[in-house]
Amino acid sequence: MRNSASHRQSVVGLARFAGAVAATLLIINAGAQTPVAPPATPAAAPAAPPSWQQGRSAEQTKSTLHPFAPHLTGRPSSELPLDKLKLPPGFKIEVWAEGVLEARSLALGDKGTVFVGNRNLSDVYAVIDSGGKREVKKILKDLNSPNGLAFSKGTLFVAERHRITRYDGIENSLDNPPAAKVVIDNLDPSKQPGHFWKFLALGPDGKLYFNIGSPGNIVVPNYTQAAIHRVDPNTGVMETIAQGVRNSVGMDWHPKTRQLWFTNHARDWISDDLPNDTLHRVTHKNMNFGYPFCHQGDLPDPEFGKGRTCREFDAPAAKLGPHIAPLGMRFYTGKMFPAEYQDNMFIAMHGSWNRSTKHGYNVMRVTLDAAGKPSMKPFLEGFLTDEKGDPPMWGRPVDVLQMRDGALLVSDDYNGIIYRISYKK
Amino acid sequence: MNIGDFVRGLVAALASAATLLVFAGPAAALAADAAAGMQKAQVCVACHGSEGSSVIPAIPSLAGQPAQFIATQLLMFREGKRKDAQMAPFAANLSNADLNNIAAYFAAQKLTLPATKSDATTAEAGARIAKQLNCVQCHGATLMGQQHIPRLAGQQHEYLKTQLRGFKASTRFDMDGQMTSDAQALSDADIETLANYLAGLR
Repeated sequence: MRNSASHRQSVVGLARFAGAVAATLLIINAGAQTPVAPPATPAAAPAAPPSWQQGRSAEQTKSTLHPFAPHLTGRPSSELPLDKLKLPPGFKIEVWAEGVLEARSLALGDKGTVFVGNRNLSDVYAVIDSGGKREVKKILKDLNSPNGLAFSKGTLFVAERHRITRYDGIENSLDNPPAAKVVIDNLDPSKQPGHFWKFLALGPDGKLYFNIGSPGNIVVPNYTQAAIHRVDPNTGVMETIAQGVRNSVGMDWHPKTRQLWFTNHARDWISDDLPNDTLHRVTHKNMNFGYPFCHQGDLPDPEFGKGRTCREFDAPAAKLGPHIAPLGMRFYTGKMFPAEYQDNMFIAMHGSWNRSTKHGYNVMRVTLDAAGKPSMKPFLEGFLTDEKGDPPMWGRPVDVLQMRDGALLVSDDYNGIIYRISYKK
Repeated sequence: MNIGDFVRGLVAALASAATLLVFAGPAAALAADAAAGMQKAQVCVACHGSEGSSVIPAIPSLAGQPAQFIATQLLMFREGKRKDAQMAPFAANLSNADLNNIAAYFAAQKLTLPATKSDATTAEAGARIAKQLNCVQCHGATLMGQQHIPRLAGQQHEYLKTQLRGFKASTRFDMDGQMTSDAQALSDADIETLANYLAGLR
């Protein structure tokens, strides 16, 4: 073999990179084959593993679990098993729009335009409903993971990885949108892999709320990471609202109490059943929900929890299930659904992947009792068709949006489809 | 019907049937239109080879690649996220349906393996690198690819090398940073060895 000495050296570098298991393999190999000489010079530092992979034990480096990528070209609804979708009696689901590639966060314009963001692509789409037909338009492009959208008083706000921008009066000129005006920039100084796509929501205080997630699966974040922040769109001044939040991609305010509620993704690679992803209620400023030291309010991290206690941190309002990946969450205030749905939460469950038996891939309904204690039951089901399959599902809910008539839209990034759920007695 | 139409019809029917088989996974049989894809794919085969089996070391085979992989990469060429001066103009005018149909067509073709065969030493060294990188976690137990992840077994070696070098230089489109991360630990010699090993996999 050509250049075998340098090859051996780089193999040693690889073994270091792959960690203890790879090193063991090398020793086993060395017994059967040529012993490997120590490297003359240190190997170059390897790049960090992708955030989904970070924090695996040596044993787990051989795991076959992996996240599922969306069909980024979209799939026609005519090819999907829509008849598998199930709702409570009286509810109906239909395909509202398709060809909305990687449809993720949804925002409703004053004139009824539905704006749609995405994460692996770079665009914002608009869906215009005229006379029962929907027109899908790509209105913004060349953005940096424009996952977060919010709309208020004629202005569309877009949260990219690194900044939040505003497009004033955009609904009047969808074919020729105004230039972006920056609300805040430099939100992603490291430009490294991590949970840095954003959810965006406009609070009752007129401020824009958003997440900056953790840079890896389980790492100590810097002071702006693993947190929820808000920025005043008029001044660009940013404040931290809550810390210890690994990654929140869904938030809304209770219609009566005006308190902020949000969903949160817990870490991976502890076990199939731990920890739970969570639902949180913010009762005051500067709460800390524990990441990376404590998960789900009562589970110290096997590594970072040493020397700490969960009593230092604020507990979640509810455990939603391990690896279930709660994303978009909104309170329902519409008049179309039965009265008992008033002020309920709908949560879109996008997961799970980091679990040998899959669950989720549905929309859950969460009710609060008189004491404000949440309980959860399935609302929209049927995307999950094979809990051991790879992939196990044919669609993945990302966000929910209440329309003016009280119907509920659900985005599905796996297929580039938006569904509409309506109710009739 | 003349004989040419009959043959074309038969080929299209067979292509559709093959696609159905390929797609008959747990998520139900969801075939895009492979016959329509075959029409659009006529321009591809000039470089990618008859039915997508390349005979040019620098050009990838498309035959037998997962449909989701082909569609995703075509989309990335169209959207300018994966940069390639040769591919960009071809992808520019394709609709989303075209991408899915072309992908369905090539996914349903049987790969004619490249002439490259790796010698025993290269194969052994390449297998060792592949094992350390745990390529099978994403590329599948026999490196035949799955979902949006490409088949590596029997791919053209120069193409594989170019991609690995691109990942190492952080210039190749990478959805989640996985390949960019893995490629950092590879020396030029490793890339050579790995590519030759993968190209020779049968």
